[in-house]
Amino acid sequence: MATAILEQFINGAMMGSIYVLMALGMVLIYGVMHVLNFAHGVLFMVGGYLTHLFFFSWTGSYPLAILCSMVALAAIGVVLERLVFRALRDNLRMQIVSSLGLILIIQNGVVQIWGPHALQMRPASVETLVKFGQLSFTLQHFVIMGVVAAAVVVLYLFLTHTRLGTAMRATSQAPEAAVVVGIDPNRVYTLTFMIACALAGLGGALLGPLFLIFPQMGDAPMLKALSAIVIGGMGSVPGAIVGGLGIGIVESLSTLVIPTDYRDTITFGVLILMLLIRPWGIFGVRVRGED
Amino acid sequence: MRKLLLTTALAAAFMAPAAYADETVTIGIVTAQTGPLAAPGKFQMNGFNLAVDEINGNGGFQIGDTTYKLELKVYDTRCNAAEGASAMQRLATVDQVPIVLGELCSPVAAAEAPIAQDFQVPLVVTVPTAQSLTEQGNPYFFRVNANSGQLNEALAAFVETIDAEPLSFIAWNNDTGRGGANGMQELLPEGYKFGYIGFFNVGEVDFANHITNIRNEDSKAIMLLMDEEPGALAIRQIRDAGLDAKLIGTLAMGSNRFLDRLNADYLEGMVQYSSFPPNAPMERIKNFSDTYKEKYGEESHGFAAQSYDGIFVAVEAMKAAGTTSDGAAIRDALAEISVDGVIGTISFDEKGQASPPVYITEWCEDGSRKIIAPEEFAADCGAG
Repeated sequence: MATAILEQFINGAMMGSIYVLMALGMVLIYGVMHVLNFAHGVLFMVGGYLTHLFFFSWTGSYPLAILCSMVALAAIGVVLERLVFRALRDNLRMQIVSSLGLILIIQNGVVQIWGPHALQMRPASVETLVKFGQLSFTLQHFVIMGVVAAAVVVLYLFLTHTRLGTAMRATSQAPEAAVVVGIDPNRVYTLTFMIACALAGLGGALLGPLFLIFPQMGDAPMLKALSAIVIGGMGSVPGAIVGGLGIGIVESLSTLVIPTDYRDTITFGVLILMLLIRPWGIFGVRVRGED
Repeated sequence: MRKLLLTTALAAAFMAPAAYADETVTIGIVTAQTGPLAAPGKFQMNGFNLAVDEINGNGGFQIGDTTYKLELKVYDTRCNAAEGASAMQRLATVDQVPIVLGELCSPVAAAEAPIAQDFQVPLVVTVPTAQSLTEQGNPYFFRVNANSGQLNEALAAFVETIDAEPLSFIAWNNDTGRGGANGMQELLPEGYKFGYIGFFNVGEVDFANHITNIRNEDSKAIMLLMDEEPGALAIRQIRDAGLDAKLIGTLAMGSNRFLDRLNADYLEGMVQYSSFPPNAPMERIKNFSDTYKEKYGEESHGFAAQSYDGIFVAVEAMKAAGTTSDGAAIRDALAEISVDGVIGTISFDEKGQASPPVYITEWCEDGSRKIIAPEEFAADCGAG
């Protein structure tokens, strides 16, 4: 049983790391712009496809392909923010509706370009196995956890130690006061979208090779990330990290005692419970009049 | 006036040859061409198209004095029951086809079958395996391919002969997967030891949880009840996780295409049932596989062979019924006919189910396959 728990813990931490990347992007956008971007899952999927494209038809190097795909996703983020979300700035409901519309457009666009078949790419990190006793994992499992940990640290330093990061936090906490001290909210919004989309792209680039790259690959991670930020506390960065990792590990360990097909029931059950007893989440701040 | 005359003459000139040309029969097709099961849908469609091209290329078929050519009216049901039902209804009422073939997904076929009965249009499926489909007492429903019950019987008989206890399962969380897992448990003798039995939803790609549970149960063998794509993923993850239990798969897992997704190291020793070993040293199969490869540039597939046979079954039934429009007469003919197809002799029992042979194939070290059951068809590596 101990080996089973260890195996599931590592698998859960790996999937949890992916949820963390997704949740961080969604929480940044939510924190700064108060929009829930439901299209985050398809951006994750586009990250997988672009990595495949850059890997096979351009760079031939997996790390370079990941970087290119993050840059491309950041550019897509700029376009989305300028074309879609900026025009709907004062209408939160329409922003949510349009993010749902983006899912359809992007998902079907990908099917048009790459076809409905799942793609495979197998860089060395996926082919290399790491063994502990009778257990064995692909190196990619640890690459994912390591890269996500590094991304979290970099994001934390950026938010706390740079002028731009401080401007983002300022806009998130008090948008009007931020304008008063000379922060251009449009720049901050664009920057937020760039970072969030690049993180989603990184997630797709990391997970795609381990399994498959296919049009629906971002659906489940998006829902899990959404649960993570609700459980962690809407708008809270530490909440997104704890929520994402927690969901990954709990859903994985839960399958040792309950049937695997009920795995999602556990996640969403916890989500509903959280909404009932502590709707502002673990790290969220209770705001008068909002609950 | 002169203009009118000219127009009439021209119109007559264009219409005249039509009166002597062959007639066309349109057969309805329901299958998934997009969505998560678009890939297997393509094999099915290739089989239909190959048969139609062959029949039309040979000048069509004759009923009485009239020669008919075939045309297909295809609806993409995306493996979605609601779309399947509306396509079936449309084929029966708007397109008014005499017979409908196809369907890839069992739940969709279940939604289409009652409509076939309501409008008296026979529905002949060539891929769905859920046993329940032919248990509904629907006289307008026919199945060319072996159902999960028949496949499981063959597999269970084989599993009994090998050392596979405790046997674990990873299966699709749908009629096919659950039906298969339950069927297998009933077919194996009482007291047979089972390990972990896990189900996953279509579209899930992470099998880590199942693998840990299987390891926990010390399983000797794992039965994978799913199709090609998840199958390849599951096998890779099982072997990468260091589990060396014997693998037992379904018909989707005995093809070169499947090998391309993995490699021989992952597959060696794995066995699977197959309704169509594409390289079997049998004339009927060899001919089909060669033609298929020539046309589509890839190894033939059981779904294609079954669907190819489905078109011939439909044509034979129309010939026997002497009609290309009376669905009820065609149904009665279907119940009686016997057609020598690529997959074997096809004739339907009182439930509308055919009984083509079921094979067991095993992967060899070099990435080829051998046929190990039934005994009379057994053949060495390279045959399966």
